[in-house]
Amino acid sequence: MNTNTMSYKTKQFLMFAGLTTAAFFAVVILPFIYGLYLTFTSWDGVSKSKPFVGFANYISAFADADYWQALGRTFIYAVIAVILVNVVAFLLAFLVTSGVKGQNFFRAGFFVPNLIGGIVLGYIWKFVFNRALVALGTSLSIGALSTSWLATPNGAMLCMIIVSVWQYAGYMMLIYVAGFMSVSADVLEAAMIDGCTGIQTIVHISVPLMVSSFVQCLFLTITRCFMVYDVNLSLTKGEPFGSSVMAAMHVYNQAFTYKNYGTGQAEALILFIVCAVVGVLQVYIGKKAEVSA
Amino acid sequence: MKRKLVAAALAAAMAVSVTACGGGSGSSDGGSAAGGSGDGGSGVSFTIFNSKSEIQDQFEELAKEYSEAKGVNVEVYMSQDTVAAHMATRYSANDPYTLSMVDAKDIYSLGPEHAIDLSDQDWVKNTNYAISIDDKVMGFPVCIEARGVMYNAEAIEAITGTEFKPEDYATTDAFKGLLEQLVAGGMETPTGVMKEDWSLAGHFLSQVYEEQEDTEAFVTALHGGTSDLANNAKWNSLMDTFDLLKQYNFAASSPVAAEREVLEQQLAEGKIAFMFGGNWDWSLIKDFEPSEKMGMMPVPQNTDDGSNGKLVGGGSKFFFIDSSDATSDEQRQAAKDFLNWLVSDPEGNAFLTERCALVPAYSNIEAAGLDPLSVSVKAYADAGNLIPNYDYLPDDHYSKCGAMFQEYLADQTDRAGLAANIEGYWQATAPVEH
Repeated sequence: MNTNTMSYKTKQFLMFAGLTTAAFFAVVILPFIYGLYLTFTSWDGVSKSKPFVGFANYISAFADADYWQALGRTFIYAVIAVILVNVVAFLLAFLVTSGVKGQNFFRAGFFVPNLIGGIVLGYIWKFVFNRALVALGTSLSIGALSTSWLATPNGAMLCMIIVSVWQYAGYMMLIYVAGFMSVSADVLEAAMIDGCTGIQTIVHISVPLMVSSFVQCLFLTITRCFMVYDVNLSLTKGEPFGSSVMAAMHVYNQAFTYKNYGTGQAEALILFIVCAVVGVLQVYIGKKAEVSA
Repeated sequence: MKRKLVAAALAAAMAVSVTACGGGSGSSDGGSAAGGSGDGGSGVSFTIFNSKSEIQDQFEELAKEYSEAKGVNVEVYMSQDTVAAHMATRYSANDPYTLSMVDAKDIYSLGPEHAIDLSDQDWVKNTNYAISIDDKVMGFPVCIEARGVMYNAEAIEAITGTEFKPEDYATTDAFKGLLEQLVAGGMETPTGVMKEDWSLAGHFLSQVYEEQEDTEAFVTALHGGTSDLANNAKWNSLMDTFDLLKQYNFAASSPVAAEREVLEQQLAEGKIAFMFGGNWDWSLIKDFEPSEKMGMMPVPQNTDDGSNGKLVGGGSKFFFIDSSDATSDEQRQAAKDFLNWLVSDPEGNAFLTERCALVPAYSNIEAAGLDPLSVSVKAYADAGNLIPNYDYLPDDHYSKCGAMFQEYLADQTDRAGLAANIEGYWQATAPVEH
C-alpha cells in the first residue's frame, strides 16, 4: 500500500487529528475571529445592531488610563508571583525527591491546593485574611496582623500573590519533580565521584539538565498570572478602591458591566498580544538554553 | 498495607476537593433551573429569569405549583452574574427568557429593542411604579424597595430606657446626641457602614442627586462641570450624617475590609444600632435571629426641605416580556397570564407578599405579615413619603464612584477631595440618553 499519496495522508490526519482540529477550530479559532470582528463595532452586548466604527475601540482602549494601570499592576503581580511560585515549587520538588520520609504524602499534599477551584480558594483565603489572621493578631497583639491586609492596596496585592503561590506551587512542583527524576542517576553518581557537593550537583548538573521543566513551568505561570481572574474576583473583587483590579477583570467590567463590548474586546486582544509575546519570547530563550547529557 | 491506606485516604481527599470545586463554580457562574415537570406536557412552556436570589426557592416551588394548576410548563432560572451581564450573554446567544426580572436601568436599555408593550394589561391601572418608554408600559414592577437607615430599636431602648421614636432623630444634631448617649451607655460602636460600592455610591451617593430640587438639572450640571458639589447643601447635609456613621463605625479599624454578613449580624443582634441600607437587607438579617423591633428611618439631616422625613426608593425589579423571534406568541400570552395572576389572583398576591415577603407595588394587594423593615417601607410608601429613584445613572457610576467613596471611608481623601473626584468622574462620562 502506497503511504505517500495525498489522500492517504489526509485520511491519516483526519483519523488522528480531525476531531481535535475541528473542536479547536470551533471553540478557539472561530470565537477569536468573531471577537476580532467585534472590536471594530460599537456593540453594547445586547443590541441587535452592531454598528461598524473602525478603529475607534482601539483608540479608546489606548486612551483608557484605568486599563493601562490595571495592565501595569498585572505585570508587577505576575513578575513577583512567577518568581515566587517557581522558587517555592523548585524547593518543594527538591524536598520531595530527596528521599525524605513520607515524600509521597507530601507530594500529594502540596498538590491538593491546585485541585480547589480559584473561586472557592479566594473565599477561603478571604476568610483567613479578614477574620482568622485578624483574630489571631488581636488576641496576641501583633500590630501587623490586627487589621485586615485586604484593606490596603499593597496588602491586597500581597494577598493575591500569597494565594497564587499557594495555588500554583504544588502544580509546578510536579513538573519539577518530573525534571529531577529525568536526570539520570549515572550522571549524578559521576558528579559525586568527581567530588561535587550537593549544592554543586544541583546547580551544575541537575538544573542544566532540566531546563525544559523550567521552560514549561515559566510558560504556565506567566500565562496564568497574566490572565488571573477567578482569585481576583473572589478574594479582593478589585477592592479596596479599585486598587486590585487586574487586566482580565478590567476587560470583563469594560465589556459587560460598562457595556462597552467592543472596547472590552479590543482590550482583551491587547492583553492577549502582551501575554503571547512574553510567553513566546520566554519559550524561545528557554529552548536555547536546553542541553542534553 | 499502610501504604495502601494512605493512598486510599489521599484519593478520598482529592475526590472531596474536586467535588467542592465543581459545586463552587457551578453555583457561581452557571444558572440553576427548576421547574414544572415535563408531564404537564399539553400546554406551552415558558422561562422566567429571577434576579432576586433570596426568593429563588420560593420561585422554584411556585413554578411547580403553577405548572400543575395551569397546565403550562414554567422554568425558573437564576444567575449570580450581574443582571445586565447575564442578559447580554443570553441575548448574544439568541436564547432570551420569555419573562425576565431585571433592574430599572435594564428596562431602559433593553426595553425599546427587546420588550413588548404591556399598556393594555389590567394590572397597569393598579400601580404607580410601572416603567413606560415612549408611552408604552414595558416594565412590570415586582415590589417596592427603599433606602434609609436601619435601626434596632430594642438595642437602643435597652440603653436609653425610653421608647425609640425615629421621627425624634430626623436631624443630624439629634442623631448625634443619640449616638453619644449610646456610647456613654456602653455601646462602643453604635453604627455600621457597608463598604460595598453599590451601597456607598449606588445607594448613598445617589441620594445626593435624588434629593436635589431638580435632579435632572443637577446631573446635567455635573456632566457640564458647572455644579459646585463641595458647596452643595444636600451633599454637605448627607455627608455630615455619613461622617457620623463613619465615626461610630463598628469596623472603623479597617472599614474597607468590613464584611456585609458580619455587619448585618451585629445589627440583628443589637450590638450596633444603626446602619444605612434597605429592606432587601432583611434577607441576610433574618438568618441571625433578629429582634422584631427593627425598622427603617430616613437618613437624618440638618435640613428643612422635608427630605429627612422620607425614604428614597420606589418600584424595584421589573419584569419584561421578550419581543424577539425566539419567543412565540403563545409563550408571550402565557407570560402575560402569569403577570396578571400575580396581581389579580389571591394566590398570586400571597406569593408576593407572604411567601416572598415583598412590599407590593399594586394598590389592590393587601400585605400583612411583612418583615419589620418592609413594614416601615410600606408605611412610608402608603403615606407618599418616598423620594423616587433616579434611574439614569451611567453603568460605571457605582463601581467608579464606589472606589472613590471607599477611599473616603478609609481616610485616603477628605470630603473636598471626594467631591472633586466625583465631579471629575461626571465630566469624563457621557450622559445617559433618555
